[in-house]
Amino acid sequence: MLDGIGVLVRLGLAGVWLVSGGIKVADLNQAYVAVQAYDLLPAGLVSVVAAAVPFLELALGVLLLVGLGTRVVAAVSAVVLLAFVGAVAQAWARGLSIDCGCFGGGGQVAAGETAYPEEIARDIGFLLLCAWLVVRPRTPFSLDGWLTGNRQDVEDTVDTGDPQGRT
Amino acid sequence: MGGAERNARKKRQAQTTGRRASAPVSRGPSVDRKTVIIGVVVVVLLAGAVLGGIIYTNSQKNETEGQSIQTAAPQATYSARRDGAVVVVGEDSAEVTLDVYEDFLCPACRSFEDSYHEDIEKYVADGTVRVRYHMLPMLNDRSDPPGYSMDSANAGLCAADAGKFPEFHLSLYQAQPAEGSRGWDNQQLVELGKDLGITSSTFKSCVDGDEYDDLIQTHFDEVRETSYLQQDFNGQRGFGTPTIAVGEKVVEPSGPNWLDELVRAG
Repeated sequence: MLDGIGVLVRLGLAGVWLVSGGIKVADLNQAYVAVQAYDLLPAGLVSVVAAAVPFLELALGVLLLVGLGTRVVAAVSAVVLLAFVGAVAQAWARGLSIDCGCFGGGGQVAAGETAYPEEIARDIGFLLLCAWLVVRPRTPFSLDGWLTGNRQDVEDTVDTGDPQGRT
Repeated sequence: MGGAERNARKKRQAQTTGRRASAPVSRGPSVDRKTVIIGVVVVVLLAGAVLGGIIYTNSQKNETEGQSIQTAAPQATYSARRDGAVVVVGEDSAEVTLDVYEDFLCPACRSFEDSYHEDIEKYVADGTVRVRYHMLPMLNDRSDPPGYSMDSANAGLCAADAGKFPEFHLSLYQAQPAEGSRGWDNQQLVELGKDLGITSSTFKSCVDGDEYDDLIQTHFDEVRETSYLQQDFNGQRGFGTPTIAVGEKVVEPSGPNWLDELVRAG
């Protein structure tokens, strides 16, 4: 049961990253516009962040899809999502009128078209998925399981951090 | 020699300790160790994705570097003269004077030009319409690197000085770079001028020297504060591009006949 949920959580978060990263990679110019609209970084850094984030998202998605280093990937995902929440929150607090550009798009929008609460709520939902995977990274059909031995007791071993206990 | 000996001893010690520590897992690496290795691999992969992404994005954006900007020719030829930060096209005796506020990077301005440049050219050529082009750095921070709006606006004024404004203006709209892209640099703007037949050497120094940047910025600061140019954007008032005005009244270009109607009314 928990395994079933775990694999759904992993693949769900993988899908989120693959879609969001894929859309951004397909239009890197738009990604620049989206990052620039947060009005948070100097121009040189906007360029770097706008170039890096789409590919980071894709890589997180691929790693979650194959289930490699799930705990680390989920932790990095959480850090990235917290940064996104922070960026959206500051835009909201400063009264900017932007689209978060989370799934493509982004940039200035009309005052009535912002969706800050929804965007933050959505990211918090994704953060819950991360939290699940950080706490319980082992899921079926993962490279982690295949590489370290896909036995149920392995999971317990990993979780207790005492590999000798079982062997 | 003593140092080498010490090092060798240290190495031996380290080996012994290492052996002692790993002794219980003689049947291959432990799950713990594998997890650590996987974690390291994953972090390296993520860092690689970031680095590779930055390199790929830069090379993709720099593909336009050194390319020449496609030239375009208006269907009619007419003169243009620079008046401060404004380029005036057409006869002073024209019945209708349009003030066109635009930015060479602005996609909506491109749509406006695509839809109506032929009508405008026709009316300018027959002397019924005069256009005052205000090229503004509205989206100056929307190119990567920033500054294309200002560079192109400056080059537009330089092209007006050199007598090639209509061609230069139309070419830049038809070859408009996307927001967030690299834009055209000064060298490419100079090349475009040459391709359009500008021979004066002052054009190059005008573009390269950002001759009119200050003038344009001052004009832009005035324009964006001008009350009759403010429009509603979903309940927020502000200045945007493109804005078309006749006298002190903003007109909304829509449908195929808005200019015909303006001319008839004028």
